[in-house]
Amino acid sequence: MRSLRNLVLRDKELAVLVFMTACVILVLYITLGQRLFSPTGLQSMSVQVSEFGFLALAMAIAMLTGGIDLSVAAAASLAGIMAALVMSGQIIPVTDENSGILFVLGIVAALVTGLLCGLLNGFLIAKISVPPILATLSTMILFAGIGMAITTGQSVPVLVPSFAQLSTSAVANIPLIFIMMVVAFLVVAFVLSRTRLGRRIYLFGENEVALRFSGVRSERVILMSYALIGILVGIAGIIMTSRANSMRVGVGDSYLLQAILVVVLAGFNPFGGKGRIISLAVGLVLLQLLSTAFNALMFSPYAKNFVWGAILLLVMVLNHFVRHWRLRQPPEKPAPPAPGHKEEVRPSPVTVLIPNR
Amino acid sequence: MQRRSLFRRTFDRPMTSMEKYLLAIILVYIVIVAVKNPQFFSLETLFDMIRNGSGIMILALGVLVVLISGGIDVSFTAIAIVSGYTSVRLMKVLGFDNLLFVILVAVVIGAVLGSINALLIHFFRLPTLIVTLGTASAFHGLMAIALGTKTYTAIDVPQSMLDFGSSSLLTISAERSQYSLSVFFLIVLACIVLTWFLLYRTMLGRMVFAIGSNEESASRIGISLLRTKLFVYCYSGFLSGLMGIIYFSGLSYINPVSLIGTELMIIAAVVIGGAKLTGGEGTILGAVLGIIIVQLFQSTLVFLGLGASWNNLFFGSVLMVSLGIMYYRQRQLNKRSLVFSSN
Repeated sequence: MRSLRNLVLRDKELAVLVFMTACVILVLYITLGQRLFSPTGLQSMSVQVSEFGFLALAMAIAMLTGGIDLSVAAAASLAGIMAALVMSGQIIPVTDENSGILFVLGIVAALVTGLLCGLLNGFLIAKISVPPILATLSTMILFAGIGMAITTGQSVPVLVPSFAQLSTSAVANIPLIFIMMVVAFLVVAFVLSRTRLGRRIYLFGENEVALRFSGVRSERVILMSYALIGILVGIAGIIMTSRANSMRVGVGDSYLLQAILVVVLAGFNPFGGKGRIISLAVGLVLLQLLSTAFNALMFSPYAKNFVWGAILLLVMVLNHFVRHWRLRQPPEKPAPPAPGHKEEVRPSPVTVLIPNR
Repeated sequence: MQRRSLFRRTFDRPMTSMEKYLLAIILVYIVIVAVKNPQFFSLETLFDMIRNGSGIMILALGVLVVLISGGIDVSFTAIAIVSGYTSVRLMKVLGFDNLLFVILVAVVIGAVLGSINALLIHFFRLPTLIVTLGTASAFHGLMAIALGTKTYTAIDVPQSMLDFGSSSLLTISAERSQYSLSVFFLIVLACIVLTWFLLYRTMLGRMVFAIGSNEESASRIGISLLRTKLFVYCYSGFLSGLMGIIYFSGLSYINPVSLIGTELMIIAAVVIGGAKLTGGEGTILGAVLGIIIVQLFQSTLVFLGLGASWNNLFFGSVLMVSLGIMYYRQRQLNKRSLVFSSN
């Protein structure tokens, strides 16, 4: 019992999240039961979640550095367009012999595009010191513009037949792209928790100036993390293209809000330096369950949007209380809630800004 | 004694570098377009641009105030649609037709929604971008659930709004056609003057600049953060509500799912004009120039023989380059004066 208590107290946000997910699973199991938790239901859910999981992972890394990446969806669709262009036969005609080469070339094109997009963001943020929101806002418009100029808004079809199988094939009944996402999660979790780069990403989010003063080339950290984001975004683009077997501008745009939502839901601090990949995984499960349930209950997209927005606000308010939960216990000042003094347990940009009243 | 330039005499301040830069871009672009296609130089184009741009100009003023206060608001388009659509529906239910009523209701709804933003941001100390992302979809989703998303074509739009949309200040008759300066121009002008007055001639405006520059020190000198933020977001909501009605009247078509998704473009236009995200900086002229650039690209790429699909590419590159210049200069300055914070 005691160890459970310690476990809960060590990461309160994760505990709340796991509890919420368990409640949701229970409620859904009672109400929808067979439809949702049948093998085929789980399979289709795992396919849907993987398309979006890469974008969430990318957003999570950006938020760990104290930034945000508004360009993930636009960059993913640009990467997908590049892959689709290579495989559409518009540049190189598709024949039976070269389809294998084109398959590889398409994937390489998407990854390179994603990487370049990420590096452009990283360059703007690290070397020019443009705030991440603005840098990625401008690149978001730019990437969408490039995609639009190339395709004039038309959908680019993929003519290589094996490419669509990427998203439909399965290993032991587990969809291949779901396995890819799990591997990506494990790799990113390893990088963040066990490597020097990961440690520095957390430190950068915590206190950029201190990191620079301790002799770390912090600009390189930012470049590296946005390059990593770019690769993840490129993979997301490949999966999106493979699922639709075509690509056009603005396909994943609705994922932007959801990516931010799931990362905040998972307890990542938007000011940087805090958040765990395992929470992100739990958050993704929760979001996908809800999304599938809404589809089963035939919610309109606006109703879904409302729920997403409401959940985002609710979670942030809840996290606010959870963060200050123990700090409020000793009732020294009863009347107006004046959390200003007690909060400086972990000095962060947030607490510095808190006013004294 | 140097003679003071016209700009200095009118604005009582030197021109900021971003304003100069934007003005140069606009002039060069206009010259290029005019050389390529002399038809561009007509009153008709100008009047059209004023009419089409007046809505986003009003929104941009709200965005500017929020940016100066150090926040970023992405819910203003949702607020504009929600307040505009709700007030029209309310008027239809009540069964009468009055422009003043619909504007008043829209403005009040906008201000209330804005104050919800402000309260969330203030009491839970949440990042403004994420709060307003949440409220934007919550507000719009709630409206869509409660009222549905039925569109109204010109036949169903209230007559007073149709009249409002087509009324003009002056009409010029040419040999074949006639074009008119929309009454929106006057409203935009009034909003600009109001914003200028509030920002530069009232204590409230100075407080907005103060909390944008440094929230901590602003609260130490006795500025109420809650009241200032309430003002900022209410004002933004107020302008959004006004814009909602203008937008629907101008199009004479009411579509409750339009406009959403353009908010980042408008923020980008204001940012290009020199408003810093870190707050405390930004000029009305800069915001106006930023919107003019967006509007120019949107309506004149056709004159260059390029389709509308090139719009984002042009604007994105201009935005990226100007942000680069703006922040690179800041970075050099910080390096020289040994400032080590990120911005």
